[in-house]
Amino acid sequence: MAEIEFPFPFPEHLDLIMPEMILASMGLVVLMMSVFISKGRQQVVAWTSIATCIAVAYSVMSVSGQDVTMTFYGYFELDAFATYAKLLMLLATVLAMFLSLNYIKDVENVGEYYTLMLFSLLGMMLMVSATNFVIMYLGLELMALCIYVLVAYQRDVIRSTEAALKYFILGALSSCMLLYGISFLYGSTGSFMYVEMGEVIAASGDDARLAVLTGMLFVLAGLAFKVSVAPFHMWTPDAYEGAPTPVTAFMSVVPKVAGLIVFIRILVDVLPGLQEEYTTLLIFLAVLSMAVGNIAAIAQRNIKRMLAYSTIGHIGFILLGMIAGTSAGYSGILIYMTIYLFMTMGVFGIIIMMRRDDIQGELLDDFAGLAKVRPGYALAMGLLMFSMAGIPFLGGFWAKYVVFIAVIEQGHIILATLGVLFSAIGAFYYIRIIKYMYFDEERVAFNFGKGLPLQFTVVASTLIIVAVGLYPEPVMEICRTAVIGLL
Amino acid sequence: MIEIGFFYLFSGLAVFSALGVILSGNTMYSVMWLILCFFNASGLFFLLDAEFLGIVLILIYVGAVMVLFMFVIMMLEVNKAAKREGWLQYLPVGGMITLILFIELVAASTSGIFTSDKMMMMSHAGAEVNNTVEIGKILYTEYLLGFEIAAIILLVALVGSIVLTIRERKDAKYQNISQQVKVRKEDRLRKVSM
Repeated sequence: MAEIEFPFPFPEHLDLIMPEMILASMGLVVLMMSVFISKGRQQVVAWTSIATCIAVAYSVMSVSGQDVTMTFYGYFELDAFATYAKLLMLLATVLAMFLSLNYIKDVENVGEYYTLMLFSLLGMMLMVSATNFVIMYLGLELMALCIYVLVAYQRDVIRSTEAALKYFILGALSSCMLLYGISFLYGSTGSFMYVEMGEVIAASGDDARLAVLTGMLFVLAGLAFKVSVAPFHMWTPDAYEGAPTPVTAFMSVVPKVAGLIVFIRILVDVLPGLQEEYTTLLIFLAVLSMAVGNIAAIAQRNIKRMLAYSTIGHIGFILLGMIAGTSAGYSGILIYMTIYLFMTMGVFGIIIMMRRDDIQGELLDDFAGLAKVRPGYALAMGLLMFSMAGIPFLGGFWAKYVVFIAVIEQGHIILATLGVLFSAIGAFYYIRIIKYMYFDEERVAFNFGKGLPLQFTVVASTLIIVAVGLYPEPVMEICRTAVIGLL
Repeated sequence: MIEIGFFYLFSGLAVFSALGVILSGNTMYSVMWLILCFFNASGLFFLLDAEFLGIVLILIYVGAVMVLFMFVIMMLEVNKAAKREGWLQYLPVGGMITLILFIELVAASTSGIFTSDKMMMMSHAGAEVNNTVEIGKILYTEYLLGFEIAAIILLVALVGSIVLTIRERKDAKYQNISQQVKVRKEDRLRKVSM
């Protein structure tokens, strides 16, 4: 048999993918550590994972900003956009691990918990750097597979396993839709690379129109599932409620960031030729998400379910930035995600603290009278809730402000008006919690969870929300520079 | 011409057996239908000169995945298919969605881009082109990154399934070496007054 000649040279500029390599190997190290470290000292594993995230963040910062952004034959890209998204996801993962420290102490398999978190982070970091549907899909599956297991981590709790099963089945269905759409786009363009596909689609005539549209529809529906956009949001409340609270915090931020980044990349690179069509589709999705998120949340008695609907509502607002389709809109999405990250982590930190005996303070009634027992926590929760509602001069106000301005600049006045309207409806259920805390009598005795990292997360998140609210310019500037290379 | 005949034979049988999978009442029969479906799909790969993919499909799906399915079915004893109660209730909505999807797909695939004049007519590759070598070349160069990610996905699947199923038995007896070393004679000996 003839000698096989490999046509390609070894991939160059491998340093760009160094952060992912560090993360993958440290994931394996953490997995092995948990085998050899005795049961009582499993916290070492947690701190190693946190240190890993910090080291990876450092290496992301040190390798980015080069002239060359592509490696692995152009299948992997580390531009400013991906760099910012990765730093955001790493930060959120560190905070979620802080929240987990006391929570995931008594269950078995502490090491695997952190391993799965690191690997899902790896999947998401690959997703945001993918320039190609194959890599994107593989990263997405890596992320999803880890999170299915994390949701089911309290496997003796029926609610938890049920949520995981539901999430798994609907997640698999959405992956099928995504793949089906990709197959249509591949069939009509003959490539998997975003940019090449975008060129072919933009140049294709009426012949290809229906096939490309069908592909687009399925791809966007599959992605909408992953970032829980209504009407593809059915799994969100159950999964949020059933998952261990730190996992809920993790999955309400990090996969959303990754999914939205992929969403933006696909809109910008693959579908520029279909902007009119996808804008119509996104307007429908955005209005529906804002409506479902903000109206259904009012009926919820469980705060995790309420926050799930709140996420759906927030994603609806974020879609406004995509509808704008300008760099102001996309940087608005990054600003929104940054502020949303701190709000979510702070709120979940407080929920985790409100432990009484074995039961988490998950019902809205549990917050009654918090202000008298713990005025500090109540103040933090109040500020975070005001911020989520978008009350001026807290972080959440600027988040909404930037996307509304971006969408108004593009002439969608009605859409912005609807957004403001739904945000006003949403303010009701956020502020209701404040009413419970400050004006109701204490009904149950609290037994607050302790832990410095947990308190740090809550305090730091609240302070950042207040600081960004008073002086938003630095964050906005960073986000604006991050999207420069995108369009 | 004979190729077209085989194409219709394989794809027709594939569709027929796929229908069998969802319509047969016995789960075991469903698995058998699925195996037939995979064989036909691999037949289609052979028609496209992709022998490697065809064989891999049979080896992996029929040889491994389906056997696993069988084991699961046997262990769970789900031989009797779940009663089809309430399917009439879901029929209107489900039927509507299916109909819309079907029309959409027919429209998309007949829209002109998938017609034979637009598609590259594949001539049969000569005997000197080795399927396996070509796949290897592309898999270990261009798609190296994807290949590595797939490896990690497999690891995660392994870790995840163990995490969800392993249980430490409370009644299991095992040696705790550090306790054994630390033991003092006071722990084991007891003075009794006679």
